[in-house]
Formats: sequence, C-alpha cells, structure tokens
Amino acid sequence: MLLSAHNISKAFGSFLAVRDADLTVAEGEIIGLIGPNGAGKSTFFNCLAGDTAPTTGRVLFDGIDVTRSSAEAHARAGIGRTFQVPATFEDMTVLENVMVGAFLRHHHRGAARETALRIIEMTGLARQTAQRARSLGTPGRKRLEIARVLATEPRLMLLDEALAGLTPTELQQAIALVRRIHELGVTLVIVEHIMEVIMTLAQRVLVFNQGHVHGKPHEIVANEMVIEAYLGRGHRRRGETP
Amino acid sequence: MLLAQVIVGGLLLGAIYALFSSGLTLIWGMMNFINFAHGEFVMLGMYVALLVAVWLGGGPGAFGFAAAFSLFVLGVVVYISLIRHVMRGPMLAQILSTFGLALLLRYTAFWIFSANFVSLPQVSLSGTVNVAGILMPVPQLVAGVAAIVLTFALHLLLTRTTVGSQLLAVAEDRNAAMLMGIRPDRMQALAWGLAAGSAGIAGALMALSYPWSPSVGETFGLTAFVVVTLGGFGSVPGAMYAGLIIGLIQTLSAYWFGPIYKDIVVYALFAALLWLRPQGLMGKA
Amino acid sequence: MKWGLPALAALLLFYPFIFTGPFYWDIGVAFLLAAISASAWNIVGGYAGQVSVGHSMFFGVGAYTPLLFYQLWGLPPVAGVPAGMLVSLCLALAIGMPTFRLRGHYFSMATIAVAELIRIFVGTWELVGAAIGLQGPAVGRAWWDLMFRSELPYYYIFLAVLAVVLYTTFEVERSRFGYYLRAIKAGERAARSLGVPVRATKLKALMLSALFTSVAGSLYSIKTGFVDPESGFGILVSVQMVIVAALGGAGTLFGPLIGALILVPLQTATNTWFGGGGSGLTYILYGGIIVLLARFEPGGMHEWWQRVAPRLMRRWHAA
Repeated sequence: MLLSAHNISKAFGSFLAVRDADLTVAEGEIIGLIGPNGAGKSTFFNCLAGDTAPTTGRVLFDGIDVTRSSAEAHARAGIGRTFQVPATFEDMTVLENVMVGAFLRHHHRGAARETALRIIEMTGLARQTAQRARSLGTPGRKRLEIARVLATEPRLMLLDEALAGLTPTELQQAIALVRRIHELGVTLVIVEHIMEVIMTLAQRVLVFNQGHVHGKPHEIVANEMVIEAYLGRGHRRRGETP
Repeated sequence: MLLAQVIVGGLLLGAIYALFSSGLTLIWGMMNFINFAHGEFVMLGMYVALLVAVWLGGGPGAFGFAAAFSLFVLGVVVYISLIRHVMRGPMLAQILSTFGLALLLRYTAFWIFSANFVSLPQVSLSGTVNVAGILMPVPQLVAGVAAIVLTFALHLLLTRTTVGSQLLAVAEDRNAAMLMGIRPDRMQALAWGLAAGSAGIAGALMALSYPWSPSVGETFGLTAFVVVTLGGFGSVPGAMYAGLIIGLIQTLSAYWFGPIYKDIVVYALFAALLWLRPQGLMGKA
Repeated sequence: MKWGLPALAALLLFYPFIFTGPFYWDIGVAFLLAAISASAWNIVGGYAGQVSVGHSMFFGVGAYTPLLFYQLWGLPPVAGVPAGMLVSLCLALAIGMPTFRLRGHYFSMATIAVAELIRIFVGTWELVGAAIGLQGPAVGRAWWDLMFRSELPYYYIFLAVLAVVLYTTFEVERSRFGYYLRAIKAGERAARSLGVPVRATKLKALMLSALFTSVAGSLYSIKTGFVDPESGFGILVSVQMVIVAALGGAGTLFGPLIGALILVPLQTATNTWFGGGGSGLTYILYGGIIVLLARFEPGGMHEWWQRVAPRLMRRWHAA
C-alpha cells in the first residue's frame, strides 16, 4: 500500500467536514473520487497532502506516518497535489513556475531548468514557456499546475478537479496527459465531476458524500447503484451497450 | 491606597484602549486587514474635540459626537477610495496603503497643529471625586465609564442587531453572506466607519484627561496592535478584556518602574505574546 | 538592455568627476546610501513579500555599534561593523522565528513594535548615549578611522558596498533560494505544496536583509560621525527604505536604484524649498506617494514602465 488513510476526520469548530474517511491506494493505481460539491473532498485532500492536520485518524505513506507532517514534508516524501482553484504563481513565467517544482529535487539552476523544460514539453506548454502564468486561461493554468507538481517527481499525485472546464478537445488532451503521467509510474487519486474522465481513467471509484467514503474501498468496480444514485441514470461506462 | 488609585486609573485608561481597539479587531476579523493608521484616527478624534471645544465652545457631549461622526465619515471614505481597491491586490500594497495613510495624517497634523502638546480648555468636567478612599479625577472617571459603555454598546450592536449579525456574517464567510443577500462591500464600509468612529470618540474621551500632540497616533496604533493580539484576532470581547489588562499593566509599570517604561513594557509584552501565545486570550491565530 | 548595465556602471563610477564639488558629491553619497538600504530591504520585503516597516532596527544597530566600539574602547569605528552585523542577525532570528509561522500581518506589526521598543530603550540607556547619542572621532587618528574631509572616498566605499549588495541580490534572484522567495510571495500555500521550506526561507531572507541593512547603518554613522535614537532607529529611516524600494519596484534588482534616483534629489529639493519646516512637508509628501503607489501602482516605476513601454514602442514604430 502506497497510501493508507484511516479514520480521517476534520472538524472546523462544530462542523465536521470530513467524517471517518478511509482510503487505501496501491502503487500504480488510479483512483477516482466522486461526490457532490461540498462533500468534503477538497478538505480530505488537504488532510492527505499535509495542508491541514486531520482531527482524527492516520495517514501512512509508504509505511511512514505523515499525519502531522507539514505540506513541505509531504512534498519531499513524494506526495504532490493540485488545487481546485488553480494556484499558479501569476507573475512568474510558465518556466519559472515549473522550475520552482523542479528545484525540490534539483538544487542547481541548470538541472532544474532542464527538468522543467522537459516537463513543459511533455505537458504541451512549450509554446507558452516564457509567458506569465496570469496570461494563460484557466485550462492553461490547470495544466501548468500539473506540470509544476510533476516537476517535484511525486510518487503520488492528488488531482483536485484538474480537468474541469475544458472543451472536448482539451479534455481528450488532458486525459492523454494523465495517462502519460501514469505511465511514468505515478500513482493517482483524481477528484472529478466529469464522468468521462472517471470512467476512462479510474480503476477504482470511491464515492465521497457528507464527509464520508461510501462503499467498501475494496470494491473493484464502481457499484451500479452508486453510480445511479449520485450521477443519475443514463450514465454508461465506455463500451457498454444499453 | 495609592496602589488602588493606580489600579483604578489603569482600568479607566484601559477602557479607552478597549474602545478604540475593538474597531481594529473588527476590521481584522472581517477583512483580514490590519489598519496601520488606526492610531491616527484616535489622534484626529482628539483634535476634532479640541477644535469643537475651542471654536464652538462645545462641551464633552458635543465634541464627543463630533469626533465620532467626523471619523465615521473618514473611515467610510478611506474604505471606498483606498481600501476597497487594495484589498484585491498584493500584500505589499495592502500594508503600504494604511501605513502611508498614517504618515500622511500624522505629518499633516504636525504641519497644521505643530508638534506642541495641547490639551482641552477648562471644561465643565473638573475636580476629583472620592470613592471609597480612592481619589479619581472626574474627567478620567467620566471618560473611562463612557468608554466601557460604548465598547459594550458596540458589542451589543454586533451581536444583538440585524446589522450586527450581517457584519459578523461577512466576517465569517463572505460568499455565504452574499448568497444570503448581504452586500459585503456595504458591510465593510460600515465596519470601517464604526471602527474609525469608535477610535475618534475614544480620542475625544482621551482628550478629556491627557495632553497630546500628533505623535500620539503612533503610540496608540501600537497599543491597539498589542491589545488586538492579546485579545485575539477578530474578537471584540477579547479586545475589551485585553484593553483593560494593557491599561493596567501600563499604569503599574509607570508606578513601579518609572513613566519612561510604560510603553517599553507594552511593546515587550507584545514581543512575548508573539513568541508564546499569538492567538491571545480569545482568538484563533 | 545589454548596453544599459555597463553604461550605468560607468555613470556611477565617474559621477563625481562629471558632477564635481561637495554639493553634488553629497547628493551622490546620499543616493548610494538610500540605494543600499532599500536594496537590503528589498530582499525580504520585495522578493519574499514580507513587508517590514521597522527595518530601522537593523540600521540603528549597525549605526550604533561602530561608534560604541570607538567610545568604549577607542577602537576605529570600522571594527564595530561585524559586531553590528552579528547583533542584527540575532535580532532577525528573534523576530522571524515566532512571526513567520503566523500570517503576514503579525510580522509587519512586530517589526514596527520592536523597532519602537529598541528606539525608546536606547533613548534611556546611558551606556549608548541615551537621548544624546554617540559620536565618532572628531579627527581621524589614522586612515582606518575613515574620517575623510572630502566626500569622495566615502562615495567610492559606498559604491563598492552597493555593488556587493546588488551582485548578491542578482545571484539570489537566479538561485533556488531566489525562486523560493518569489514563490512564497506569489502563493505561500502552493509553495508549501511544492516542498518549499517556507519558514526557513523567510528567515534566511530576513537575516540576509538584516545583514546588509546593518552595514548600511554602519556606513551612515561612520560617515556622519554621529548617531542618536532618532537618526538610527527612527520610523523615518524605515519609511525611506520602503518607499525607495517600492517606488522603483519592489522585488526587482534595479528598483531600489530607480527609487533612490527619484527620491533623493526630490528630498534635497523639498528640503531646500520648504526650508526649516521642510521635514514635515517632506513626510507628508512621502505619505502621499506611498498611498498613491499602493492604490495605483504597487509594482512601482518598474511595473509602470513594463506596461507603458510596449505602447510607446508601438507608437514610435508606427510613426
């Protein structure tokens, strides 16, 4: 198990945003996390990524307890994440943004730059290398965030609605990118509302509602009833005939 | 007996601190914004009081009201013309905006009023009162009591009225407040008006008992920072208690160590707070 | 800008021979001192975005220690410079460690409070001259007392220090440390998620900044041969650093220079026009400039130029 989180809760005063949530991810998996808005998915991610300390529960990464570790320590250990609202460094160029990520593993400017350029190429941002992040649209920023966190050479990536708001073409490109990242050996947990993404990419799907993970985590395939309940009838997985 | 007098004096002074610090903490809690010119608002309140007393021959009620009103307007104007815009910008702009404003107000006051210390002309409030063997100057007593009443009134305004709950709603969660039909912009302007107004009237109350010059703004501003930190981010009740405590510490320090040390002790306390308990008495850091 | 840098260097190098005489040399020295102080502040205030409004504490420490070494032990003031740097470093640590784990405002508030605390305290401490302050040697006993009758040697000493500060900033800008500083300014939370050690980086920036500011203070007191609580630790010292850097462009290499270039002559002019009561009006002006900067152009002249230059270029090309 690369990541195992047990009994995670996060309380804000009397409000329980995350309620006894569990998640286990094996190395090389792609896990999809779906659920309605406000269900606590981002807060859960924050707990996993060290952005905030959970009120209860433990998070183990590669056997090491990282529950109370800082976000920086999480990144160093190999957990990367993107933000629901893109948090790119607006006044820095695309290259500079990605270099910040690359500097984690490469302390020298030359090596960091090389790594950054390689990743920019891979993520299809080559033409905007010298542009300021603020001049990219939201899809560009989301892609930049992915590139930036990829430069930290994570073993696990938590993508928080990284593919939202894209045109159909952009979406296909993004899905292809995520696949390429997976092929590099990165384990992924993806929060999405777009069913196509979940259906095509995720090996396992977990449903998050009211701060809680529903269904046994070890269900191999998404439960028909669950899909219907949360996504409405009419959704089909790829290749299914009605 | 002298010690008891010092203690009471400290609490009365502290009440005034509580009054002007409440406004600062309200803004901080609501907008995550520190007003570096807050001390200057108090200072201006003192000069408004002077002007009303000297030109119009007004009594405490008149200049108290004038100070509150004029500073309320100033607060709203500052919000609309400056703060509202820099809120959306970088941190540097936010800090510089009120810091620059402080300089502007302070040195304009120096230019207009000179650096000489002034005090209010002899008003109806004078003499001392003997309460249980403790001699208290009437102006200080009136100022202190008025300050406590006003601070409490502000607290009630925030917690018991519709407007108050709207203000607090914006402080709690801007977006949720908007969904409920509350206009954050208006509420923030109102908060600035209230904060400046309470600083102004605190100044007028202070003017009853103490001489001042334009330089006091800086000291009051720093005092307000300490009170607000001790009381806790965004907590008006916290500011009330903290104000009293700081006032007490000041007068006791002056009594025990000498007048020079009254400010040093407060600033040193601030440094200690940052090290040991930045969330203060009642807030969350 | 390829020709720009050598041209600038040449101009600075030969300035005293182009504009001769004590009046111009005096302005030149004032310009250099302002540029050094502002560049020092720029490291933590401009690049890292941690706005200190009490940097005078480091300046004052650097200004006091040389004259203290002279007054107490008869040593040449220069001997006190390293001590000033050390004390400033410790001060930076003492302030940074608690406040950098809290939100930004606490740091800014702390810098004002501690600067004031030190100013008042020094004003009561007999050992360091209390309200009267300290004086350096009236006449140089040897060359290392650095008591020159002409401004010229000071000009070149200050210029050398400025070169060191600018070069250091340049190297920082290109390094991992520099990228991390800018990331912190641009988005602390995102920076953390990328493994940036935020607190340690901020501390390092503050310490480096404090170091250079301290040197600036030492240069000041060695040259003027005098320091008191107001000229060392006064709030106006802090203000000048901030406004010079912000006016030119905080977070840019040459911003402080540009700011000094505008502000020092301006200050000289207003002091002449407004005469004795000048200092009051000068600071009204400063306050006004800071407010306008914050409201309309927080990026300073640098940013303004970046916005305007392309348009000007287009019009020039079209003509």
